[in-house]
Amino acid sequence: MTFTETIDRARGESRTLLSEVEAKGALAEAGVPVTATSLAQTREEAAAQAEAISYPVALKVVSPNVAHKSDVGGVVLGLESHEEVAEGYDEIIRSVQAAQPSAIIEGVSVQEMASPGVEVIVGVTTDPQFGPVMMFGLGGIMVEVLGDVAFRLAPLGEGDARDMIDEIQGRQVLDGVRGQPPVDVGAIEAMLDQVSQFAAEHPEVAELDLNPVIASPEGAIAVDARIVLAEA
Amino acid sequence: MSVPGHTLDRMFNPKTVAVIGDKGPNYMWLRNNQPFKDQGGNLYSVQIDEKEIPGIEELGIENFRALTDIPEPVDYAIVAVPRHVSPYVMKDLIEAKVGGAAFFTSGFAETGEELGVSLQAQLTSMAREANFNVVGPNCMGLYLPRVGVRFNPDVPVADDGRVGFVSQSGTHSIMFSLVMGANGMHLSRCASFGNAIVLDISDYLEYLTEDPETEVIAMYVEGVKDGPRFVKALRAATARKPVVVWKGGQTDAGARATMSHTGSLASPHAVWSGIMRQCGAISTNSLDETVDVAKVLLDAKPSTGRRMALMAMTGGQSVSITDAFVGQGFEVGRLSEQSYEELSSFFNIVGGSYQNPLDMAGTVQGKREVLERILGILDADESVDALVMEQSAMFGARQWKDHPERIDDLVDTLAGHAEQSAKPFLMVMHPAHEEAFVSEVRLKFAERRIPVFASFERAAAAAARALPRGTRS
Repeated sequence: MTFTETIDRARGESRTLLSEVEAKGALAEAGVPVTATSLAQTREEAAAQAEAISYPVALKVVSPNVAHKSDVGGVVLGLESHEEVAEGYDEIIRSVQAAQPSAIIEGVSVQEMASPGVEVIVGVTTDPQFGPVMMFGLGGIMVEVLGDVAFRLAPLGEGDARDMIDEIQGRQVLDGVRGQPPVDVGAIEAMLDQVSQFAAEHPEVAELDLNPVIASPEGAIAVDARIVLAEA
Repeated sequence: MSVPGHTLDRMFNPKTVAVIGDKGPNYMWLRNNQPFKDQGGNLYSVQIDEKEIPGIEELGIENFRALTDIPEPVDYAIVAVPRHVSPYVMKDLIEAKVGGAAFFTSGFAETGEELGVSLQAQLTSMAREANFNVVGPNCMGLYLPRVGVRFNPDVPVADDGRVGFVSQSGTHSIMFSLVMGANGMHLSRCASFGNAIVLDISDYLEYLTEDPETEVIAMYVEGVKDGPRFVKALRAATARKPVVVWKGGQTDAGARATMSHTGSLASPHAVWSGIMRQCGAISTNSLDETVDVAKVLLDAKPSTGRRMALMAMTGGQSVSITDAFVGQGFEVGRLSEQSYEELSSFFNIVGGSYQNPLDMAGTVQGKREVLERILGILDADESVDALVMEQSAMFGARQWKDHPERIDDLVDTLAGHAEQSAKPFLMVMHPAHEEAFVSEVRLKFAERRIPVFASFERAAAAAARALPRGTRS
């Protein structure tokens, strides 16, 4: 499904929030590295899809009305085999139905798990004065408590992505602290540029979160994605 | 000098100015603009109130009962009539083809009441239809120090202004002009633009970008109406000259409905400062910061290096100056071996030090040739990007009062150094107990183009923001 078709479908269903599978599909189409993610609607589909991805895999509930997946038992991580995936699928359906009987469950997403690294956040929001704006920050506590983030207008110009990364107070973390290897900062820059291009080309996107993006010496990959469309 | 062909050029370079509706007993606007008349400009009054006319004529200013009766083309008009009269005045301004008019008159949309809002809408549509240049309303209008057009009786008339200022606030435009003057710096042109019904911040910014008399642009802004246009104008401006943006208030501070983490983190302040960096503008948060940054931009040579040589007179001050500059991200490192060799040959290390920072009062002892020698060594040192010297009034004031030639000699020594050196040179003079005296001394430094600051912290903060864009060559 192309992004235009996804937008049409969401609007047809009077939704502004895209599912994680839809969001990642759109970003992958735009060349942004995201973890392989597919939608399974039976335990057999989930197991078959997991076989096509390398283990371990994660499973997450796909539902238009579940706000926080892990709060309702909608996330299972680190599944290592065909059997574990099939069981994980059943467990998610059971837990979510029990915790939130009103939940509309479209299925379960089967996801590649990124290798460990530094969590960063890449985002887009729409400023009422200035239009689409890019954000970059370090994930976790740096964002939550310190608000250690940098903003720039989209699309980013030459050097802007690098400048955003360098503006962060916790910048050193990317160079490796406590014996960690330095992450591939160039890969984060490339992702910022791609996402800014995506935002500039799609004014329908009001807000976007890639949170977290895992940055490592091997590159940067978005593990979770959220896209909110502008009201049509 | 002007910007020929620019739509704002007539009002920014007026030969004839009309003040409409000024009243006694003070005749504020006519008096403010007396210097314009004294310098040969045509200053006229327009007033129909018979009671007011004798007072106007006593000032030696010719009064007309209608704007359209003035024999010369009017380049700039100041409108100070009651708000309900303003549409009639607008009609005359348009008919007389005036170059531009500032409406000091207030009581429009800023009141939030229906009459004010509708009068503003009426003025806006009249002016837009006629393509007429309106400054304001609800503003102090233009301040043109060269020709003597003023918005306040105390702001200087001066022909050496190099800083253009644009302000959403009338008070801040006056305060900035006064404080700049007290620091020996003058404005090239200034616009207080109030409600901005026709001309907005980007129009003034575009003019100042083209204006050859404006070397540095500063502005006070609370919010902009047309974000993309402002960004475009700002980018074009910073490509030509340094631009300082003093942001006041938190626009749109109310919580926005957002479904994303990014949206919830996007405070107006954070987004604004990111955009300023992206546009190459220097951000400030207060009047004093803006004045300090202007000093560095006007009178320091540019440097992107961060290695400072710090010269203090005493041990305590050498520690404090270092704290301030390190706190702003500067490096205060070792000098070259050659510098140490030369310094060690004459430096008095009893009660002093020539490491970096230098603690040098006991070595200099008021001797010009010694100070020049130290400055020369630091200037030649390749591990130094910029020099900052401290001389507080604590010790200085008493002897400078008794021997005024000593302060003149110090200023002359430092000015000579700053002139020939390619490295930025900044001076810090804490006024200590001599605030009034030091405010006079400070002007001596400013006259010789030495940026002087009242504290280490202010000097360091201004340097951190502005040193890379110093305009002195």
